[in-house]
Formats: sequence, structure tokens, C-alpha cells
Amino acid sequence: MGALKRLRPSTPFLLLLPAIVVLAAVVVVPLLLSFYSSFTPFRLTQPASLFNFVGFRNYGRILTDVEFWTAFGRTVLLLTVALNAEMLLGLGLAMLVEKATAGQRLLRTIMMFPMMFSPILVGFQFKFMFNDNIGLINNALQSLGLTDQAIPWLIDGTLAFWAIVVAEVWSSTSIFAILILAGLLAMPKEPIEAARVDGCTPWQTFRYVTWPFVMPFAYIAMTIRSLDVARAYDIVKIMTDGGPAKRTELLWTLISRTAYADARMGLANAMAYFAIFLSILFTVYFFRKLAAARTQIGAEW
Amino acid sequence: MSRLLAGVAAGAILCAWAGHAAAAELPGKFEGVTVDAKLIGGQQYEALYARIAEWERATGAKVNVLSKKNHFELDKEIKSDIATGNITWCVGSNHSSFAPQYPDVYTDLSALIPKEEIEGFVPTNIEASTLGGKLVMLPRAQFDVSALYYQKSLYADEAKKQAFKEKYGYELAPPDTWQQVADQAAFFSNPPDFYGTQFAGKEEAINGRFYEMLVAEGGEYLDADGKPAFNSEAGVRALDWFVNLYKAKAVPAGTTNYLWDDLGQGFASGTIAVNLDWPGWASFFNDPKSSKIAGNVGVKVQPAGSSGKHTGWSGHHGFSVTESCANKEAAASLIWFLTNEDSQKLEASAGPLPTRTAVWEWAINEAQNDAYKKEVLSAFQQAAQHAFPVPQTPSWIEISNAVYPELQAAILGDKTSKQALDDAAAKATQILEDAGEL
Amino acid sequence: MNENAKARLAGNLLSLAHKLGLFIAMAIICLPGLWIVLASFRPTVEIMAKPPVWIPQDLSLDAYVAMFSGVGQGGIPVIDYFSNSLIVSITSTVISLAIGMAGGYAFARFRFRAKSSIFLGLMLTRTVPGIALSLPLFFVYSKLGIIDTHFGLILAYVALNVPFTIWLIDGFFRQVPKDLAEAAQIDGCTRWQAFWQVEFPLAGPGIASAGIFAFLTSWNEFALASQLTRSINSKTLPVGLLDYTAEFTIDWRGMCALAVVMIIPALVLTFIVQKHLVSGLTSGAVKG
Repeated sequence: MGALKRLRPSTPFLLLLPAIVVLAAVVVVPLLLSFYSSFTPFRLTQPASLFNFVGFRNYGRILTDVEFWTAFGRTVLLLTVALNAEMLLGLGLAMLVEKATAGQRLLRTIMMFPMMFSPILVGFQFKFMFNDNIGLINNALQSLGLTDQAIPWLIDGTLAFWAIVVAEVWSSTSIFAILILAGLLAMPKEPIEAARVDGCTPWQTFRYVTWPFVMPFAYIAMTIRSLDVARAYDIVKIMTDGGPAKRTELLWTLISRTAYADARMGLANAMAYFAIFLSILFTVYFFRKLAAARTQIGAEW
Repeated sequence: MSRLLAGVAAGAILCAWAGHAAAAELPGKFEGVTVDAKLIGGQQYEALYARIAEWERATGAKVNVLSKKNHFELDKEIKSDIATGNITWCVGSNHSSFAPQYPDVYTDLSALIPKEEIEGFVPTNIEASTLGGKLVMLPRAQFDVSALYYQKSLYADEAKKQAFKEKYGYELAPPDTWQQVADQAAFFSNPPDFYGTQFAGKEEAINGRFYEMLVAEGGEYLDADGKPAFNSEAGVRALDWFVNLYKAKAVPAGTTNYLWDDLGQGFASGTIAVNLDWPGWASFFNDPKSSKIAGNVGVKVQPAGSSGKHTGWSGHHGFSVTESCANKEAAASLIWFLTNEDSQKLEASAGPLPTRTAVWEWAINEAQNDAYKKEVLSAFQQAAQHAFPVPQTPSWIEISNAVYPELQAAILGDKTSKQALDDAAAKATQILEDAGEL
Repeated sequence: MNENAKARLAGNLLSLAHKLGLFIAMAIICLPGLWIVLASFRPTVEIMAKPPVWIPQDLSLDAYVAMFSGVGQGGIPVIDYFSNSLIVSITSTVISLAIGMAGGYAFARFRFRAKSSIFLGLMLTRTVPGIALSLPLFFVYSKLGIIDTHFGLILAYVALNVPFTIWLIDGFFRQVPKDLAEAAQIDGCTRWQAFWQVEFPLAGPGIASAGIFAFLTSWNEFALASQLTRSINSKTLPVGLLDYTAEFTIDWRGMCALAVVMIIPALVLTFIVQKHLVSGLTSGAVKG
């Protein structure tokens, strides 16, 4: 530590400067503009409406809008279900791959395969797969004799929710898997050996040695995903676009329809701030978990 | 090679025009002028743009294509331009359903294009391109109205014919009315393997389908004062048509999530008996590489509703010139060129429907030796006679977005038709009030 | 049966179960993707068939031939899209890695005031959904005249990736024991040399995985690209996918073929780079 203290105090700030500059230019400045517009009845097709300040009217409308809050709740549920499923599956996948003795390169590449598909494509693919009439899934179920019904995957509210979860989990589990795998690989080997010598069962070794070490990586992945989960927008937009009859409406489909198709940018931006607030909650939550996990393995914070 | 041919063709039409009085004006000479353009992209639309080089050669002007995007992305982009005050370009692709949203952006073309040129277009298309007395776009050969596609073999099956007659008391034949479509759909359906028909179930698509059914039932979407009037008795009848088909399982259960791609793929898979669909699918349905029912496809003018009126929700693509354009004459010459007879022939030869009377005749004549194509074209030519555009309010898309979830709610049985339409009308009224139109 | 044989049997069973589990997991991961790849070689009549055609009957390269055969014959300007994508993705990845390394190093190795808040602040920039950003960003960009340029897109993607890379690289630098660099400095290295020769190689896997993420994010990004690009000057492959959609029709096979064109470079790059996930990461090196 002594060597570090002698450095000029501005070094870390110099190191961080490029990041701060880029983010300020691309995120903060536009964000201030959109924040302002959320207090106006701004319509894209009527630019003059940008200068008509209406205070909190947009926010007031949203607070009493049942459809908005239903979508809000559904988004929270989707995030919770999808993120947990992704973490569990990602952990399992990473451990399977880590244990493999041969073909590591290939396995790791395959593991990341879904990340290479553009979300638009994933949306179309799963929409066609879940199509009730000619979709792969109903076809398979009918061929195997498991059902003689055409299951309306994307129509029934609950089924459609799960169909979206499946598409989302398929496309994003890789991120968890690769990060957790990186954590497993970075892990020192002696504690595991020590645990084995001490006669721990595999489960105990996992629970008390491996997991605490991997946890920060899992939380990093979790936080990053909860920041980034709006990516799922493209998938949902194509699969159901919030429908039918708003049964799968999520914040993002609602906001983007309001913003561009309805051209009511002011209102949409106000909604977006609720979405941002939600993201911040999720992020801060996982962030604290991460900090706790780090303390546990003795990393300095 | 195709460029060369296009060049020869363009040269030919230039010569042909030399004899007319208007020829001195079109395409004209615009040495040193640059026209900035935003065009709709995608393979179906881009073949035409090869002709831009011809126009440049003829006029000495340059075209600078600023963007080429999908229909909906282009709409977003133009809205962004309006919002940020960036209408710095001259020519834009436009669509009759989207045009009312940008009322002040585009200039009146009737002041720029000779009258006899405008008369060469199909009058209903020109009417649909005219907003508040302003001709805002020149239609290209990308006209869309739906006709009824059906599987021919179903109507040739003697056993089916007899069974149908016993049950419904009239001959089984390709339907003339929507009531017959409903009967036949129920008759043919055998879920989950086969369905009588299907319909687009979301977004503007279901609202458009409901709108045309409403018109066919004798109702109107907005009344003379511009107030939502679709929650009338005719409206309930129109919506019930969709609701009853869904209840009878005569349509796939997923239909309320279908958009045009699902519908086209579904009919091509051979699991749908009759299908109201757009001209763009005609060759897809009859191509053995893409369709199971190739060779078994019949096309017929779209059926009529109980009022005797046919459905006929339609739209067409076209080009517009901005009000802020510095050289409107050059821009108008370009869009005239892209919608003239040769341009329309080029586009129509690939399948899309023309919007010039002369090109309709030419296309049908070209198809003399191709029975299927002939059937398609004559069906769509009849279909075009019943065509009508969407209500000309800038809020159409926004109203669609508010109305369609209510229509879906009725179809899925969450609400009664009347209740859903009343709710939808209340929302539409609020939108129109917010927009200052009421 | 003696203890040894029992243990061996259990071990064999376990390894069999592991192989089976691995196979099933990989199959689930691959299938939807492979279906897309396969769809690009099959006529549409087989893809959307009912009853389904499970075994491809008629494979052809038609969709690929059409893609490259120029506008008007079913082609799209795929070469332009491809080079735009490549330029934008690679440049933005390199830049965000550089910025991310600087930032990650600062967080991992220095103590300074408001460290947690700054860190959190950087991360939170990522919570802004694209939709709240796209129009104002478009506004700023059009004022600067960088709409439809590589530069504009690169800038946006760097901002998109920086929080992510900082975070990852920070985490990996933390894993590298501090005494290693200090020892190197005692041995006469400058801090700069110590970083490049000791800490950088050890944090290699972190940097590699951050790089893969950044590359794949930029390579597949659609929402911002569709707003900030307009023509072949800068349109990227994901935006190009929409060239296969018309108002009422969609060429799913063509889209799949373009998807394959998109996947191949990503796959190759991942395959090459992922080996750095391991290099320099033997347990011996970490033990030092």
C-alpha cells in the first residue's frame, strides 16, 4: 500500500477521465434533454410543443394509469424470473463446461453461440417456433402425440409470458455462463484441494469454497444484465409487441409505442424515467450484494 | 445488363414524350442541382432506384440518397427530423396511411406536375394521395388492397360440396359475402390441423381489418365531424364477425398475435382454406419452393359485407416533395420520373400493383399466357375498384394503437364487442381531443 | 466388489452423467440457432411446413446467391453492411477496452474519494433505456453532423460498452495480487512497465472476455443503429436484416442467410479470443 500512497492523487481521475467524457457526451447530455421534454406535451410531429411546459402533468397521468402499472409489475416479474433462471442455468452450464476434460475451446465457443444472434432474429425465430399453427413446438408436441391441441403459446397471457422468458433466457444465459466460467477459471486451486483433503463432500466444497468465490462474478453478471435487460425489447417487440389485449405489455413495448408510433415523446420520456428508476433499484440491489460478496472473500473495497 | 435495358427504355420514353406539349417540361434540365432523397429500402422496393441514374443523365442533376430504410423505420426517421427541425431534404418516400401524420412537411404537387400527367393515374389513388386539397404524393406501382386467396381443391371436392349444401342450404363456391366466408370457415375447420381462415390480429393490421369490415357493414369509423363512430351497431356486427370465428375455432388460436408474415406463411403451409391477403404474396403462394399449395391457389375479389359494400382497406407507396425544398421543380421531375409509365412497368413486372391506368392494361396484357397471373391481376383489378384509404386524420396510427388492444380483448372474450368498442371510442375521442382535432 | 472398483464405477457413472448433461445443455443451446442456419439453406416450403419436415430434403445456396446478386434480383448491399459492421465493432471494441482498462485499473488499484459513488454513477449510465436516449441523441448528433457516420456509431457504442468493460476489468485486476506489481517495481520496473509485463498478462482473461462482450454488443446492436444510421455509409448488418422485410411480406430465408453471414465472423472471433481466457491463468501464475 505504501508505494501507492506516494502517487499523485489525480492519477485515478486521469485514468477515469476518458470514460467520464464519453459517457457525459453520449448519455448525460441527451438525458438532460429528454428529462426536460418529460415536462412538456412534446409530440414528434409538432416540434413547437417542446416549448410548452406543463410541469408534472405527464407524471401525474402515469401515476394513475392502470395499464402503465400493470406493465410495470409485469416487467419486474419478468426481470426477476428471467435473471434468476439465467443465473442458475448459467452456473450449471459453466460448471459443466469447466469440468469437461476435452474440447474446451469448442465447448466455450458453443456456450456463447446464442450471444451471436441479433435480438431481432431471436424474436422472429421464437415467434415462428411458438406459432400455434405451423410452429416447431406445437408440431413436435403433436408429432410425439403429447397433445392434439394447437396450444396458443403467444395468446394465453401466462404461456406467452413463459414463451418470452424462454426466448430471453436462451439468448442471455451465455452471459452468465461465460462470466461465471471466467470466475471458476480464475479461482485458486488450493482451497478446493484443501477442502477435499479435509473430507468435504462435493456439495460442501461447492457451497463453502467455490460459490463464495464465484458469487461476485455472478452478481456482476446479474447487475450487468439488469442494466441491459431492455435489450429484450427487440425480442418482445417481435414476438408479441405487448399483445394480445396487452397481456404481455412490458414497459419497453409501451414506451416505444408511445414515443414513436404515437409520437408522444414527452409522455414516453416520463414513462422512461420510471423505467430508469426501476433499473436503478435492481442495479443498486445487486451492487450491494456484490460488495457484500466481495467482503466475504476478503477482496478490498 | 438490366441497367442498360432500363437506359434504353428511358431513352425510348424520352423520345416518345418529345412529341407532346408537356414534354418540354418533363423531365427538364437541372444542370448542377443536387436532390437529397430519403427512400424506402428493402429488396422489393429498390429495383426501381436503378432508374435514378437515367434521370440524372437526362436532366444533368444529381440525386443524393440520404437514407434507405424499411417503412416503419423511415417513419420514425421522418418524425425525428420533424421533431428536431431537420427537414433539409427534398424527396421522401411516403405512404397513404402515414401521410396524414406529416401534414405540413410536404408540398402540393398539383402546382408542379402537369394536369394531364396526374390524369394518367388511377383516380382513386390520386384521391387517396390528396389531403385537405393538397396532392401530397405521386403514387408508385406499389399499391396494396386485399383480395381473397383460396385453395381451389376444396371447392372441387364433390363430397364436401354435398355436405356443405345439406348443412347451409346453398352451393359451396368461393365466397361472395363475408357471411359465406364465416360459414365456410366453420365448415372447413378441423383444428389443430386445418383452419377455415385467419386474420391479422394486432397493431394497425387488426384495426385496418376491422375498419374495412365496418365499412362493409355500412358503418363509418369517424363521422362527418371527425368523431369516432365505430361503436355503432354496424361496428358491433363487424367486430362480432371476428369474435364468432375465433369462438368457433375456425381460425388458429394464435391469430390475435399474427402479423402479415405469419399469415402468409400460414396460408402457404396449406393449413388455411381461405385467406384475405395482399398482392405481394401472390407469387409466393404459387411458387413450389415457398408454398405447399402451389398450383392450387385461386384468387377472387374480396367479399362484401351485409350492406352490400365490399371491404377494401388499401394503401399505396409514393413519393413526396418537401415544402422546404430549394428546387421543387427538380424534385418534382424526379418523382414524376420514378412514377412514370416505364417506372411503373418495371415495378409491376415483378408483381406489385400499378397505379396508372395504362400500366394496369399493360400488365394484364403481359399476363395473357400465364393463367395464374391473369387470375391474380383481374381479381386485384376488381379489388382496386372497391379500395378506400384509411380515415385521413393525423392521429390514425395513434388511434390504431389505442383501439387494437380493445379489439383483441373482444376477440379473446375478455369483453363484449359493444363494451370493447365503447372503451375504444372513448380512448380515440381522447386522442383526437388531445391532438386538437375535436 | 472391493472399495476401489466401487469408487471407479461411481467415478465412471459420474463422468457419464456429466457428459450426458453437457451434451443436452449444448444441444439446447445450439438447436434454435442451428435451426436458423438450416433455414437459410432450405426452401421456405420446408421451413414452415405442416406436418413438419424434420429432415431437410432440399438444401441449396439460393438465398446466398440472391443476397449477393445485386439490388433488384433479391440482393442487398451486404458487402457495405459487412464492412460498416466490422469497422464500427472493432474500433469501438478497441477504444472501449482502452478506456475500460484505464478505468478498471483506477478502481482496482487506487483509493480515492467518492470511489463507490463514482463507480455506481458510471454503471447507472447504463440503466437509461435506448428509447429515452435515442431521440435526444439523434438531436445532438444531427446538430454535430455525425448522423450516418462511422464516427457517430463508434462513439455511441464506446459509451454503451465502457461501464461494462470497466466493471469486468476492475474485477479481474482485483484478482491479480497487488504484491506482484510491487515486487516488479522493487526489481526496477516503472509502474508502467510493471503494469504491462505483470498485471496486464494476468488480467488477460478479463480483458479478453470484456472484449468479446463489447464486440458482440456492438456487432448485434440494433435500436441505436437504426436511429443513427441511414444509408450504406454506415448501416450495419442488424439494420440490414430489415431489408428483407417489406410492408406486408418477409423473406425469412433471406434473413436467415444474412444471419449466417453475421454469425460467422462473431464465431471465428470468439473461437480465437476465448483461448486468452485461459492463457496466463494457470494456477501457478496466480500463486506467483
